[in-house]
Amino acid sequence: MLLNWCDWLQHSWWVASLDGSVALSVLVELGHYFGFFLIVGSIVVVDLRILGLAGRGHDAARLAGQLFPVMWTGLFFALLTGFLMFADDAVALFPNPVFRIKLLVVLLAVIFGAIVQWRVGRWDRFARIPVSAKCLAAVSLALWIGAILSSVEVPHLTYVP
Amino acid sequence: MHRLILAFANWLQNTPLALAVGGSDWAYPYVQLTHFTGLSLWVGTSVALDVRLLGFGKRRQSPGELLDDLFLWNWIGFCLAILGGFLLFSIAAASFVSNLAFRAKLGILIPLALAVHIFVQAKARAWSETPEPPAAAKLAGLMEIVLWLSVATAAVSIPYF
Repeated sequence: MLLNWCDWLQHSWWVASLDGSVALSVLVELGHYFGFFLIVGSIVVVDLRILGLAGRGHDAARLAGQLFPVMWTGLFFALLTGFLMFADDAVALFPNPVFRIKLLVVLLAVIFGAIVQWRVGRWDRFARIPVSAKCLAAVSLALWIGAILSSVEVPHLTYVP
Repeated sequence: MHRLILAFANWLQNTPLALAVGGSDWAYPYVQLTHFTGLSLWVGTSVALDVRLLGFGKRRQSPGELLDDLFLWNWIGFCLAILGGFLLFSIAAASFVSNLAFRAKLGILIPLALAVHIFVQAKARAWSETPEPPAAAKLAGLMEIVLWLSVATAAVSIPYF
C-alpha cells in the first residue's frame, strides 16, 4: 500500500515539474545540503563542548542556547527538501535498505539531539559535567557522523554493484 | 595558464593516491563523509556567528563569546573540508578544471567568501562592545551567508555543467 502511495507521489504533477527543472533541482539540493550543514555543525559543537573538547571558557548551556535554534532551522529545511528529493525517486528509495537505515539513523540522531538540548541546563549546574552526559553527547556525535555516512552510501551501494 | 592547470590536473589524477581512491570499492563514500563532515562544521559554525551578528534568534552570547567557543572547530572543519575536497577533486581533476561551475566555485566564490569570513572573525570581538552589533557587522554577516550559499549553489550545479 505504501509502495502504491510512493508511485502516486513520484508521478504527481508537481514532482514531475520539479524533476524537469534544473533550477528547482539545484535549489532543493542546496536547501538539503545547507540544512544539514546547520544541523550537524551546531549539534556537533554542542556535543564537543559537553565532552570538554570545545569552548571550555563558557557554560555549555549558553552555547547550546545560542546554537539550538540554528539546528532546528536547519532541520526544517533538510526535512522539507529531503521529502522533495525522496518524492522524485520514491518507488526505488522506499524499499532500499540503505535508505531505511539512513532514516533510522537520522531519527535516532534527532532524538539524541533533543535529549541533549533538554538536559544541558541541568548538566551545567554540576561542578563537572556528569559522565552519563558525556556518553549521550558521544552517541549523538557518532549518530550524526553515521547519518552523513549512511546518506552518501545510499547512491553508492544502490547504483554501483 | 590554462594548459599548466590542465597538465597539473592530468598529473594529479594519475598519482597513485588518486588512482587508489578512485579505484577502490569503498573509499569514495568515506572521502565524501570527510568533505561533508568538514563542511558541516565549517558552514554550521560560520553561519551561527553571522546569524548572531544579524541579531536573529537567541542572544545568550555576544558575537565575541560565540566566536571564542566556535573558532577551533570552525577551522578544524575547514581543514577536513579541504582534505576531503582535494581527494574528491584528485579522482577526476581534469574534468573538474574544465567545468564552469567548479571554476566559479574555486576561482571566485570560495576566495571571496573566505575573505569575508576572515574579516568577520577579525572584527567580531570589536562588534561585541555595543549591545546591538553595528550596521557594518550585519552587512558583513549577511554577505558571508550569501557567499557560502552561492558556493554551495555552484557546487551542486557541477553535474549540470
